[in-house]
Amino acid sequence: MRMREEYGSKTYAELVGRGRVHRRFYTDPAVFEEERARIFRRVWLWLGHESQLERPGDFFTTRLAGERVIVARHTDGVIHAFHNRCTHRGAEVCPASAGNARNFVCPYHAWTYRTDGALASVPLEQGYGEDFKRRMDTLRLEPVARIASYRGFIFGSHAAQGDDLPTYLGPEVRAAFDNLVDRAPDGEIELAGGRTVQRYRGNWKLQLENSIDLLHPRILHRSAIDAADRVDHGGQPPSIEWDIVKANGLTLREWDGMQIAAMQGGHCWMAGFLTKAIDENPLQKRYRELMVERYGEQRASEILAFNRHNTIVYPNLFVNSRVAQIRVLQPVSVDCTEQHGYIFRLKGAPEEMFEASVRMVNTNNSPSSIVTSDDHEIFERIQESLGSGRYEWVDLSRGLESEEGAQGTNELPMRNQHRAWAQYMGA
Amino acid sequence: MSVEQWHRVQQFLFHEARLLDERRLQEWLELYAEDAEYWVPYTWNQQSPKDHVSLFYETKRLLGMRVDRLERELSPLDTPMARTNHYLSNVSVDDDRARAYLLFVEYRRGEQRWFAARCTWRLRPHADSFRIAAKRVDLLNADQDAGHLRFALPF
Repeated sequence: MRMREEYGSKTYAELVGRGRVHRRFYTDPAVFEEERARIFRRVWLWLGHESQLERPGDFFTTRLAGERVIVARHTDGVIHAFHNRCTHRGAEVCPASAGNARNFVCPYHAWTYRTDGALASVPLEQGYGEDFKRRMDTLRLEPVARIASYRGFIFGSHAAQGDDLPTYLGPEVRAAFDNLVDRAPDGEIELAGGRTVQRYRGNWKLQLENSIDLLHPRILHRSAIDAADRVDHGGQPPSIEWDIVKANGLTLREWDGMQIAAMQGGHCWMAGFLTKAIDENPLQKRYRELMVERYGEQRASEILAFNRHNTIVYPNLFVNSRVAQIRVLQPVSVDCTEQHGYIFRLKGAPEEMFEASVRMVNTNNSPSSIVTSDDHEIFERIQESLGSGRYEWVDLSRGLESEEGAQGTNELPMRNQHRAWAQYMGA
Repeated sequence: MSVEQWHRVQQFLFHEARLLDERRLQEWLELYAEDAEYWVPYTWNQQSPKDHVSLFYETKRLLGMRVDRLERELSPLDTPMARTNHYLSNVSVDDDRARAYLLFVEYRRGEQRWFAARCTWRLRPHADSFRIAAKRVDLLNADQDAGHLRFALPF
């Protein structure tokens, strides 16, 4: 294996050490290729949400482990996922990002597929030989190996074998999806409002670490926090898009006391950190009353007390139940990553809640964000400088001796991600 | 629309561009009315900033927060500072609305990049000049699949 030749005795799994990782973990194109094969092609990855496919014929296109796929609801109501590649000569059969279709017709020679991927017709069929009718079944659009939904969230996997979706997610991750849906007074959510795509020229794992790194916000985001501090609200309650910037300014002690959890499979979560002021917002109060009306005081309080910020689903999904947002990483290459931000409308909630979510994504997860732009700037500097010098290891030892009962700035959740990485890469 | 009026509006737009390019950001902010909206839509022909994400959608208060950060403390994103040129052309004026094409060139950390856009302003008379009530910048590639690297400065 090439790795052995290049790094002496090191296997991929050995790039993850005790409290440290080798720099090639972030910089080696060969490692990236292996990650595609051993992690991204094996696990369950988020594809979309059932609300994007309300009627038969509704479809959207996306990427699954870098491969282009179509997800569609067939006439019988069943959701299918298949590769966006004509089985004839390989052209993309569906150029649209979303829509409603009776058939997918390849623009090159009009091979025509149904919304379950079956090949329905080809021009001058007799020219393909006597047995073509029988061969047609093997010429359906290549299905994605597995597809499954949890509470309306659609996942796909290129691996035919493996844990089922609920097992893969585990109870702590499922709770984040449950809570996102339960926060809708009508018990239903709808993916809406488009998506943002932030691109950065750094490795995908840098964002994965950063989103559970509680030591950095106060330090790196200082200029944004200070600017938010100085805003005069003119006596009005602050809005959520301001609060999410301001809230990064907890003291280091406060960050260090925050609850975190590292779960099996590399998943993790951190507690919420929005300021108390946000609950005083009249909109939040109106929403709370609606929730109590629908669920009763006790259940409504339970749902709203679920206070997490990021729940990170290994290897590439961030669920933010409280602000009805998810983000997904699409690694492009070893040193380039896209981060996609999506929001949900909570059915039965005031429309202004959705509008606030839209504004929050604009300030937090758009390329113009004054917060995440600083993160991405740092990722690029890491990516540029990791190759310099003779030191081969990156330090992730914070809290290594106190993983039992870890909280706050303990780097346990990052080590937990990388232990999962080593397991996938070694197995 | 008199030639003189067209000239006055055009000079005002050039002035706004110059303030951005010369980093006179407080002065730039002062060109905006208190209830102004600064909008860079995410999609082509986007109808509303309320129910769909945008690249920028900022009130004067949010713009002020952005400018304050850029002016008072250097964030990593702004170290070193980006240099920009705003090229405006095809300026037309129709009542309180001004339109122009924008070519925005930015240089930072060894890399130059550019954006092409169509801009629309809604202007209000103010003393012997104008205040911007709304500015909309439609980037030709706003919704490109690959997304965008971060923007340091407003367009």
